[in-house]
Amino acid sequence: MHSSELHLPDYREQSPAVADRFRRIEARPVILDVRNLRKSYEANGINHTVFDNVSLSIHRREFICVVGSSGCGKSTLARIVAGLDESTGGEVLLDGTPVTGPGPDRGMVFQGYTLFPWLTVKRNVMFGLKMGGQSDSIAEAEARQWLDMVGLSKFEDSYPHELSGGMKQRVAIARALANKPRILLMDEPFAALDAQTRGQMQNYLLQIWRKVDVTVLFITHDLEEAAFLADRILVMGANPGRVMEFIENPVPRPRHDDQFLSPEFLALKKRLEEHIHPSSAGNHDHIPMIKMTDAGDDVE
Amino acid sequence: MAHHDWLGLKKELPPRRRLLLTVLSFVIPIAIWSVVSYVPWIWHPLIHITNPGEVDYFSEGLDIPKADFTKELGKAKAAGQQLPEGYAVNPVYLPAPHKVAAAFYTAFKTPPRLPNEPWLHESLGHSIRTIVLGFLISSLIGVPLGILCGTYRFFARLQEPFIEFFRYLPAPAFGALCVAVLGIEDAPKVAIIVIGTFFQQVLIIANSVRKTDPALIEAAQTLGASRWKLVSRVIIPASITDIYTDMRILLGWAWTYLIVAEVIGTMSGITLFINQQARYRNFDNVYAAIAMIGIIGVSTDMFLSWLGGNLFPWKRNTRSSVKKLSLFNQGPRKRLSGGLQSGTTPGN
Repeated sequence: MHSSELHLPDYREQSPAVADRFRRIEARPVILDVRNLRKSYEANGINHTVFDNVSLSIHRREFICVVGSSGCGKSTLARIVAGLDESTGGEVLLDGTPVTGPGPDRGMVFQGYTLFPWLTVKRNVMFGLKMGGQSDSIAEAEARQWLDMVGLSKFEDSYPHELSGGMKQRVAIARALANKPRILLMDEPFAALDAQTRGQMQNYLLQIWRKVDVTVLFITHDLEEAAFLADRILVMGANPGRVMEFIENPVPRPRHDDQFLSPEFLALKKRLEEHIHPSSAGNHDHIPMIKMTDAGDDVE
Repeated sequence: MAHHDWLGLKKELPPRRRLLLTVLSFVIPIAIWSVVSYVPWIWHPLIHITNPGEVDYFSEGLDIPKADFTKELGKAKAAGQQLPEGYAVNPVYLPAPHKVAAAFYTAFKTPPRLPNEPWLHESLGHSIRTIVLGFLISSLIGVPLGILCGTYRFFARLQEPFIEFFRYLPAPAFGALCVAVLGIEDAPKVAIIVIGTFFQQVLIIANSVRKTDPALIEAAQTLGASRWKLVSRVIIPASITDIYTDMRILLGWAWTYLIVAEVIGTMSGITLFINQQARYRNFDNVYAAIAMIGIIGVSTDMFLSWLGGNLFPWKRNTRSSVKKLSLFNQGPRKRLSGGLQSGTTPGN
């Protein structure tokens, strides 16, 4: 298919099923409301703006992806929602209440492996429940259920260092979900995994999300990942960080790997790419190509 | 070929080679010592007189420099006197390996010359008691303070600059002061070990605690851990293996302060034993006693390393202060393979 034939159809032009889906999502209550969020910091007396004027509303059980080139502040956005960083302007409302610091109502899965190495897999999942004052027996029973959901029951007594990267992140998801957070924040959780495992994890995450009443804010720089996972995609630009577009994903659910070649998927990907890697002039980032040796005709 | 490479840069050697080299690291110095002791022409600067002959200042059992013996032998020959006899020996302060080996047993059997002097086992017991007491007192304050300084910038700023200054003051410098304040018995000795250990301990443990991965703290915060729980459930468990290793190294340092501590006030413990035996020229006992300190130190550390492996099953590879000797605790680590348990058919 020639790329010029691709255009992103508005979700309202899509099949009635897709249009209906977005109508239903928008009818749900707003879980997370980010209003005119601004983050800046001072270094050597110069004020740097990470991003400004970022607003978004996330409805219950919605899956939102945030994409953007490095430096647009997408991770900072997740960290401010989590309460790990402070904003310098605007506000974050969770169920209408301003966020002031980290709390168990906002679970987070990080890019690095953050399982507690001194605790077994089961004890890791129990951690949040114990912090919430649950008794050992209740926490253990619940942890077992969550481990069952991520398919790691057999490894409940293993230590994190005995697990592969993908398994560690599954435990991290189980650990975050065991707290029954209102929103699950995921900061490039699969970025460190190899491509094959990453694909498995994406499928897996959708399976879990389908079974659990949880809203997801997923940060990624992988456009295909965003197109595969999200209901809506927040595209951020850098220098200074800002919202470029908030795109409704027209790819119908349930999602499966075959859709990677569907017209909707390709059109969405192209639209995202235009934001992230603008091909137009004014790109000063090119590498000067100097021919060092005479390459043969058969070498490109 | 990698297989034959004994000198690969930063490459671990196979277990059998490691064991071989560990054994060699002890065999080589002992071999050099044996050669010097048993091969007469290597050194042996003295002649041990077995028969003084008619040389008037020779007597049986006396050690005489070789040159003097040769001179007297020449004189006796010229005068037609009865010739002195003897054989080449090393000085008394270099006993042969078998004598020192025997002393490991006989030193315990050698009764003290004076009735109120301690036996070797009593001396060793006294030294161990001094070390343990000093180390315990230091740790009781030093470990919590180190954790506090490592956790909170407030305490680090309040404590560490002074401690940094104080740790440069050599502990033995406080000897006279300790005796003046604490008397001449064991108290000042324990105090020297405390002074030598405590200040390093606070700084080293604070540093280990400070190395806690901030991502673990943030993860715990998003799981609802409160201020105090962050310390007790995250920061302390995250740094406990490093603290344990620090304690092992610090215990080794405490031993180095022991000898200094024991000469303060009334000399006591293994230092007293070594000094007495040297005075009686029982150098085999002196060497045995010195070697015993090393053996106690290394075996304590090996035991603590083994214990650490059992206390902290998530970290079987605790850093070792005597890495070459820690041949155990290195069993093959199984890495469980990944893979989803249930089907991967796409849903939703």
